[in-house]
Amino acid sequence: MYIINSPRDVQDMARGAVVLGTGGGGDPYIGELLVAAEVANGNFPKIISCDEIGDDDFVLVFAGVGAPSILVENLLSKTAMLRVLARAEAHFDRRVDALLCMEIGGANSMMPLALGAISGVPVLDADGIGRALPQLNMTTFSIHGCPVTPSILMEERGNVVTIEASDDKMAEDISRAATIAMGAGAFCMMYPMSGKRAREVTIHGTISQTLEIGRAIREGRNSHGDPFDNLLRYLNSWPDRTAKIIFDGKIVDVTHEIRNGWHWGQARLQPLNGGGDDCVIEIQNEFTIARINGETATIVPDLITVLDRESAEPLTSDMLAYGQRVKVLSYSCDPVLRRPEALDVLGPRAFGFDEDFRPMEELLGLREPQQAVG
Amino acid sequence: MPDAHFRIGIDVGGTNTDVVLMDGRTVLGSAKHFTTPDVKSGVVNAVRTVLDTTGIPIGSVRAVMIGTTQFVNAFIERRGLEPVAAIRIALPKGDGVPPFSGWPADAIEAVRGEIYMVGGGLLYTGQEYAPLDVDAIRAAARDARARNIRSFAISGGFSPLCPQIEERARAIVRDHVPDAFVTLSTELGGLGLLDRENAAIINASLAALASRIVPALGRAIGELGIKAPMYLSQNDGTLITADRAMALPILTCAAGPTNSIRGAAFLTGLTEAIVADIGGTTTDIGFLARGFPRETATANHIGGVRTNFRMPDLLSIGIGGGSIISEEGGGTVVGPTSVGHRLPAEGLVFGGATLTATDIAVRAGHAEIGDPGLVAHLPSSLVDAAVETIHLRIEEAIDQIKTNAAPMPLVLVGGGHILVNRPLNGVSKVVRPDHAAVANAVGAAIALASGRIDKMYDVKTLGRDAVIKLATGEAIAAAVEAGAQADAVDVIELVELPMTHMQDGAVQVKVRAVGPIAAFA
Repeated sequence: MYIINSPRDVQDMARGAVVLGTGGGGDPYIGELLVAAEVANGNFPKIISCDEIGDDDFVLVFAGVGAPSILVENLLSKTAMLRVLARAEAHFDRRVDALLCMEIGGANSMMPLALGAISGVPVLDADGIGRALPQLNMTTFSIHGCPVTPSILMEERGNVVTIEASDDKMAEDISRAATIAMGAGAFCMMYPMSGKRAREVTIHGTISQTLEIGRAIREGRNSHGDPFDNLLRYLNSWPDRTAKIIFDGKIVDVTHEIRNGWHWGQARLQPLNGGGDDCVIEIQNEFTIARINGETATIVPDLITVLDRESAEPLTSDMLAYGQRVKVLSYSCDPVLRRPEALDVLGPRAFGFDEDFRPMEELLGLREPQQAVG
Repeated sequence: MPDAHFRIGIDVGGTNTDVVLMDGRTVLGSAKHFTTPDVKSGVVNAVRTVLDTTGIPIGSVRAVMIGTTQFVNAFIERRGLEPVAAIRIALPKGDGVPPFSGWPADAIEAVRGEIYMVGGGLLYTGQEYAPLDVDAIRAAARDARARNIRSFAISGGFSPLCPQIEERARAIVRDHVPDAFVTLSTELGGLGLLDRENAAIINASLAALASRIVPALGRAIGELGIKAPMYLSQNDGTLITADRAMALPILTCAAGPTNSIRGAAFLTGLTEAIVADIGGTTTDIGFLARGFPRETATANHIGGVRTNFRMPDLLSIGIGGGSIISEEGGGTVVGPTSVGHRLPAEGLVFGGATLTATDIAVRAGHAEIGDPGLVAHLPSSLVDAAVETIHLRIEEAIDQIKTNAAPMPLVLVGGGHILVNRPLNGVSKVVRPDHAAVANAVGAAIALASGRIDKMYDVKTLGRDAVIKLATGEAIAAAVEAGAQADAVDVIELVELPMTHMQDGAVQVKVRAVGPIAAFA
């Protein structure tokens, strides 16, 4: 167990969450403001590791659902967050022992920290994806057969929808319809599970990972060293993960369009001197494929992150523009996401690509790809 | 001269006050004086110089246009700011992220009067989710009055969809505090409650200063005997009336660089170009599109406070005429340290002891300034390396500000333009207009009036064509309201942003319309 007790740590975590957002996941800014203010007032989020959670403890995922453009007007209500927690405890008739993050990449990274800070309920150092992905059924919770519902959806006026769905696809459809009726933004408590189950179905250590990624970048900048050296050293220190900069250059062309409510597009990069290799990155909210000279270099669910080549500030897909000087980071996903049953729901074919997943280590001729255990 | 269209453009900068006198599209004369602490005497001196040298009778001046960095500088320096009562109409939403969230401590110290969060607000559909809590607004107004706070910023959830909610709150505040200075968030920003509210608070904090400086400018004009109307430049290169500048001083905060880009466009006749203003310490590079500076797409910070205020998209690099040249690890380094305004004393060609970018330009034969004999000893290898570095850095910055690789014309303004002397990659031609030193005052003199909207529309119900028509109509009406000639307003920007993640037809539409000042036609 440790506590987050400095606003600077919160800032590091938000930046780390954008790195893991792989271009999508929403802006953590609003949540970061809330958590930083709580921390400044002495309300420190407590982070507990998956080893510390009791087998019979009760764990719930806490997330914001809806459109990012709603969050910037609604902001976040502390009162509503506490109410949805109380409502969930009443519904399940037991105390929530730990809050769990649904998606560590992007805006939802901050939600359990926010509720953890204001309620005192510990936050489990884990999440359900280790990155950002567009759909609920793409979480490791769903892949392991841990159902989304019963879930509690609530907005600030006190409207509550309790959902018990026949499957996760129905859960998503009902949640979406209810969220729109509530004003396109709501708080959700979902995926009820025991501590033992949480240990089995989550990706471990990802809350700490955001903090350490953000810290590596910040310290790399401040020491006049190379923030990329620091970042890569940290990412590669995980025994089952690999990270590499696969391209260094500038953006020479970007297309953006909204298709069925999602942000689609493509970015093309060239080396700074203009000649040589060419890199193309596909966008479907997140970055899904990076190809170098037409050859796949990294493909979803492995992570692709675009960073400013001087400051290592991570860029989201909607920020990409002609002329930006960037480096492209390839980062192997958690081994769990490489299992066949996971690739069925979040592999390249789930995004409409006519190709199979291949680990970035293999595509880039690096060390042996990490095999999933168990 | 009954048919003459004489106008005076003034740029009140931190150091200099520049003035130009124009007849239609011709610059008749210009002057540069130091900016004085009272602002007024600097303006009077500079305008008088121009009138004297051109011999134009005062009575034939038809309009005076002023750009000033006074307000933005005051906020950045936390100077002369008023405490503000921030009233946000959003409960039960948003109580976890109150007004002033994310502000630097010194700005909070200077500006935070009191925070009042009250009930009310809208959904993205425009439907009310809670009624305006009239009693809470009354209580807030009374409490602020008791604390001697006169400046108010009022914001509300999704208020751009229905500005009436903030207007009703303002009326209540004024009932209780008759001399209140009230800024509504909808007067300033588009979607993004916190950023829009921040802009309103910054504006409210500038109330006292605006009610001192704007009338002082008016008095300066009056003292000179000029009877013509006075306008102020705002961020997007268009004009607002003195009354509007008093109410919304923040609208002027980025007028300086905008006027410089607009002036460069006017002096060259170009509408699509890169503009580089090379000063003593930095080079500011902007992008001219359809005759206006391209604006930033993401959040901006004013004095450390995040806003969604539209600002010219500028890239600043640490290269200017005073940049210090040094050699480090076998390479030649130019800037970012600079002798700045001490160049005429410290540069080698002026008999000083510091090697600067200007000395390099003189030694390379690009410029005739000072005494070339004082730099004759510099080795060619050093000069060549420094010239190369300067050009490469400017080329790289130009490429970053462009939207694609096609070569574009480059307009050079500012005293440091002598640093550029060879063709640049990505640039089709380099243009150095006359009067480049007062391009910002020219930009003020030629400005137009504008109107803009940034709202959410229901495209599914209304249909896309009807939404575009509605949105452009509102922007044009706003331009006419701001003083534009009704039959000459052009829509110069139209952006549609569908809301992601929900697929239900809500689209955010941003429109900007501009036209010539009607009073001047």
